[in-house]
Amino acid sequence: MICVRCLRDTARKVAEAPDRSGVWEVYYCKRCNYSWRSTEEEQITVLEKRDPEFQLDQEDLESLSSPNPIPPLEKK
Amino acid sequence: MMRGFGISIRPRTVFMAFQSLRSFLEALGKNGQLVTLHDIVYPEPDVRTYLKAAADLDNDSPAIVFDNIMGYKGFRIAGNVHGSWVNHAILLGMDRNANIRQQFFQVDRLWQDLSSGELKWVDNAPCQEIVVEKNINLYELMPLFRINQNDGGYYFSKACVISRDSEDPENLDKENVGIYRVMVQGPDTLGMQPLPYHDFARHLRRCEEKNESFPVAICIGNPPWLTTMAATPLPYGQSEYIAAAAIMGEPIELTKAIGSNLNIPAHCEYVIEGEVIPRQRFCEGPFGEFPGSYSGARNQIRIKVNRVTHRRDPIYETLFIGKPWTEHDTLIGLWTSVPLYKQLKAEFPEVKCVNAMYQHGLTIIVASDMRLGGFGKTLAFRVASTPHGMSYAKNIIIVDGDVDPFNLEKVMWALSTRIRAEKDVVVIPNTPGVPLDPCTDPPGVGSKLIIDATTPVAPDRMREITMIADPPGSAKAAERLREILKEVRPQF
Ligand SMILES: [Zn+2]
Repeated sequence: MICVRCLRDTARKVAEAPDRSGVWEVYYCKRCNYSWRSTEEEQITVLEKRDPEFQLDQEDLESLSSPNPIPPLEKK
Repeated sequence: MMRGFGISIRPRTVFMAFQSLRSFLEALGKNGQLVTLHDIVYPEPDVRTYLKAAADLDNDSPAIVFDNIMGYKGFRIAGNVHGSWVNHAILLGMDRNANIRQQFFQVDRLWQDLSSGELKWVDNAPCQEIVVEKNINLYELMPLFRINQNDGGYYFSKACVISRDSEDPENLDKENVGIYRVMVQGPDTLGMQPLPYHDFARHLRRCEEKNESFPVAICIGNPPWLTTMAATPLPYGQSEYIAAAAIMGEPIELTKAIGSNLNIPAHCEYVIEGEVIPRQRFCEGPFGEFPGSYSGARNQIRIKVNRVTHRRDPIYETLFIGKPWTEHDTLIGLWTSVPLYKQLKAEFPEVKCVNAMYQHGLTIIVASDMRLGGFGKTLAFRVASTPHGMSYAKNIIIVDGDVDPFNLEKVMWALSTRIRAEKDVVVIPNTPGVPLDPCTDPPGVGSKLIIDATTPVAPDRMREITMIADPPGSAKAAERLREILKEVRPQF
């Protein structure tokens, strides 16, 4: 399914309400790591209502900054 | 630990070690500081809405336990546990009305030899009553919820992350317990943000240089003193477990993780055992942080979950963090202030008190007597060169030793009547800053503002003035008034 944040076809259902009430489902996108629940506010679940500032559809995720850069490998 | 004859340093009848979150919740309940919310709540946005509301209540805001969460029937969430000064007073073993200054000095008294604490290992630990090793699904094992609306996922905001130094793996002093933001990234994967100046980053670097994974345990619902010490800036080589035990005055009860040699608190609610995947980074964030703004999406480390253990009826503890004042600020406020106080006082005994409660010490107020003209600036330089102050201390305010730095009216009086702006206000540009502080640009580079609001002493001087002296008996009179008030208000 389409991820509501990065708009790629990389999301899937990962959970249902554990009390078996069926009241919600959780989805997860393996590309941008976003999780969302079907019962969250429309600003989360409905694409058109999401805040563009928090979308990751344009980003090249590799280029995000890393506060902990990978150190050089130790020479054997 | 100081234990005098005849003099009770701490009120032993009230001070408790609290080996578990639930024993602390029970004490809060006995003191009218616990609300169990039976109303039906949705994970979003209701849990955050209630936790924010609790944070905005007065000084006596209670801990909240949610026990009727839509889709998570049978689960419980606890929040705001360290969220008010009354809760904090109860943790400190003080009268519920102890003011912040009194609590500061109680923390100072409790904080003696932190390396003197003892550890005790127990078998059949409650935190391992249930063991899940197959089909791990964090979304179904615990009542996860989105803390702030634009967070990138469901976060553990009050989890203790335990790791060891791979170069010195048997050294208990170097076993680190720290609170880091941890993001659930799929059923059995986590993302985490250790900052380069965190102890965890040392452990990470050593393993990544060798391209080795290393084990971590992420514990949720911890004994309250452990949470407190995990949030306190301690030097590398000072174990948070030992420090917590020193404060508790009795050995802290630990057990071994099932899949590693990591120690975990025996009485915590959930344990997630996993390993850090070396030399890879994945998109993490945003997350609403303590300055009251979001920190953006970054590439961060990933943890693969191998096992989840928990109590039979676990309580998922969380901490609301966002636009201040929140539980985050009460949890760390005095525990950031007291180590700075001790570091300053070690060299400058004139220092009387330190208030570093604002946004983890971005603003710090030091009260001190003045040794000589210009001494206020000396103290400010020292604040800026402490391990914590180096990056955090952005606004440094120095007031006279008789000004209570926790009484902002008195501090404003000092600013109003003592600042000679051309002499007393200095900005030092281009210094280390905190990346989460939105004023640092590039992130992590900021400036230091020093305000010396003390009364000039020789050889510096001030225009001749005569201070209005307090009536000599006023302290005693205040005591008498308090006595009478107790009779007038017996119900309080
Ligand atoms: Zn996505």
